[in-house]
Amino acid sequence: MARMSYRDAIRETTAEELRRDDSVYLIGEDVGRWGNLFGASAGLLEEFGPERICDSPISEAAMTGCAIGSALYGMRPIAEIMYIDFITIAMDQMINHGVKYHQLSNGQVRVPVVFRTQGGVGMRNSSQHSQSLENWFVNVPGLIVVMPSTPADLCGLLRSAVRSDNPVLLIEHKSLYFTRGEVPEGDYTIPFGVADIKRAGEDVTIIATSWMVLQALAAARTLTDEGISCEVIDPRTLWPLDKQALIDSVKRTKHCVVVTEAPAEGGWSGEAASVVHEHCFAELRKPVSRVCGMRTGIPYGTDLEKAVVPDASWICDAVREVLA
Amino acid sequence: MSDNEQLMELYTQLLVLRHFDEFCYDLKMKDLIMNGFHPYSGQEAVAVGVCSLLREDDVVFSTHRPQGHSIAKGSSTRAVFCEMLGRRGGVSQGIGGPMQWIDKPHNFFCGSIVGSGLPIAAGVALAFKRQARDSVAVCFFGDGASNTGAFHEGMNLAAIWKLPALYICENNQYGEAMPVQEFVPVSRISQRATSYGLNGVSVDGMDVEAVMNATADALEQLRAGRGPVFIEMVTYRFRGHYGGDPEHTYRSREEIAVWRNRDPLTLARTRLLARGYTEETLDDLEASVRAEIEGDMEWALEQPFPTVEQATDHVMIPLGQD
Repeated sequence: MARMSYRDAIRETTAEELRRDDSVYLIGEDVGRWGNLFGASAGLLEEFGPERICDSPISEAAMTGCAIGSALYGMRPIAEIMYIDFITIAMDQMINHGVKYHQLSNGQVRVPVVFRTQGGVGMRNSSQHSQSLENWFVNVPGLIVVMPSTPADLCGLLRSAVRSDNPVLLIEHKSLYFTRGEVPEGDYTIPFGVADIKRAGEDVTIIATSWMVLQALAAARTLTDEGISCEVIDPRTLWPLDKQALIDSVKRTKHCVVVTEAPAEGGWSGEAASVVHEHCFAELRKPVSRVCGMRTGIPYGTDLEKAVVPDASWICDAVREVLA
Repeated sequence: MSDNEQLMELYTQLLVLRHFDEFCYDLKMKDLIMNGFHPYSGQEAVAVGVCSLLREDDVVFSTHRPQGHSIAKGSSTRAVFCEMLGRRGGVSQGIGGPMQWIDKPHNFFCGSIVGSGLPIAAGVALAFKRQARDSVAVCFFGDGASNTGAFHEGMNLAAIWKLPALYICENNQYGEAMPVQEFVPVSRISQRATSYGLNGVSVDGMDVEAVMNATADALEQLRAGRGPVFIEMVTYRFRGHYGGDPEHTYRSREEIAVWRNRDPLTLARTRLLARGYTEETLDDLEASVRAEIEGDMEWALEQPFPTVEQATDHVMIPLGQD
């Protein structure tokens, strides 16, 4: 075990995969000289050179299409979209092309590409640099959507993503980069579609994603003082979804709260709540409660951006209400 | 191969593409091709001239009008007929339809989002460059694509990294129903390539030998690692944007007649006659090509449709096998 930041887990895992497999390369805006906005690829240009740590022009469609095309012919690109907000420019390449090729080729073509990006609030970057857009992608057949919340999960899931022949969208969170945790040594991988119980509990199941996992854990600590025992489950991959883990937990706790930073309407939080309702209807004492970001563009400034997305206090309120 | 034999071979391919397309048009009118058919008649010299010089390991990306490029790259006419008809046995097993299929053994891809192929072709070319192979990526697109973001982003990327990508703009004078002079403010689309440092050229896309000569020059540059090439092929589609579109709303019979006078098949045939082939030889050739294509069509019409289970095959590689 080594203790490191989420940011360093990205850098270390990327470097290890680059060393392991010559066909892996990183492409993105300022991944080389800058070593990524957060330092998540700092030093890699020096070790691997510009052909494998490939600074792209500010052209998300070109960079994404380039990654897809090269993946068709033997390369294993990691394409970094600097902010998930920029992914709109890349979506045609991803969704209409990269994700469709396996099916259109009757399984003859594989597209081993990882799209890495980051979303969410935390840098006072307002409405075009702070969104949580994962919901759009969960609705795309053929695309794996991953949102790791800890350095260890990042490490294991990024490694699986690089080695998968399916296209994978891995969404980091800007407020997670400098959080720290233990990362297992060695060739550590985590399969897609396997949730993790971040905290075991008995009274209520809190299903949370990405940075919201940390908020849920904080809420669980607070609620302990009130005699409430919370189980916190992180699905880790939004699709494929580990339905069984959610069902097993809620069948025991009989109460459920789903937490996402993204707005609730039309989103994955509704998918998770539906799974629970469909499979645990008899056991549930109250309907599933959702705690989600407000339906607004993310406003500018420290206070306001934090005010429109859930925090531990919102989650505590929701838990108290479902248990009331 | 002598020039005569070569031209004869090209002419044969032009006939294949023309008759294939005309049979497809009839199939569309009978609703057997269900939707999405975009006729290629009139533009055959481009597909034939370019693809006749490609190797199997070269990769082609095409458009919503892909049948000519695909057959010229090596796809079987039976498999392309089946795809048009949505039948099992199609290049994409009848799942893709007339605008999007992949023929992996022939390294052929197409898709129906205008302009999208340029970045992907750049990526294929990047892989070839990294692997020190001399294969090239060829991307066909239309005049309309030259206004999309992906066109400019993709061409710029290929240019700054000197990737072996051949960009072929088929200027068939219309983006759907809109005349090119209304949506492109320069007289030649190849001018757009010069702003990316490419030596963009414009070629008579009705003349299969002119197309081939320009392609030969391009391939020499590409295989030598001297960066991408852009060629505008000036051509015309004889039929509508899609099979059965209201053509009269945007162009006149007189205009079509002027371009039909420059039919690439007639140009090639006239040249063959001047080089000593007889009318009878060429008529016999055409009759035999037509009969063969018709036989392929009839075969395709006998093929089954995919089942619902097959329609959801291969959405992704099953977890654990990926």
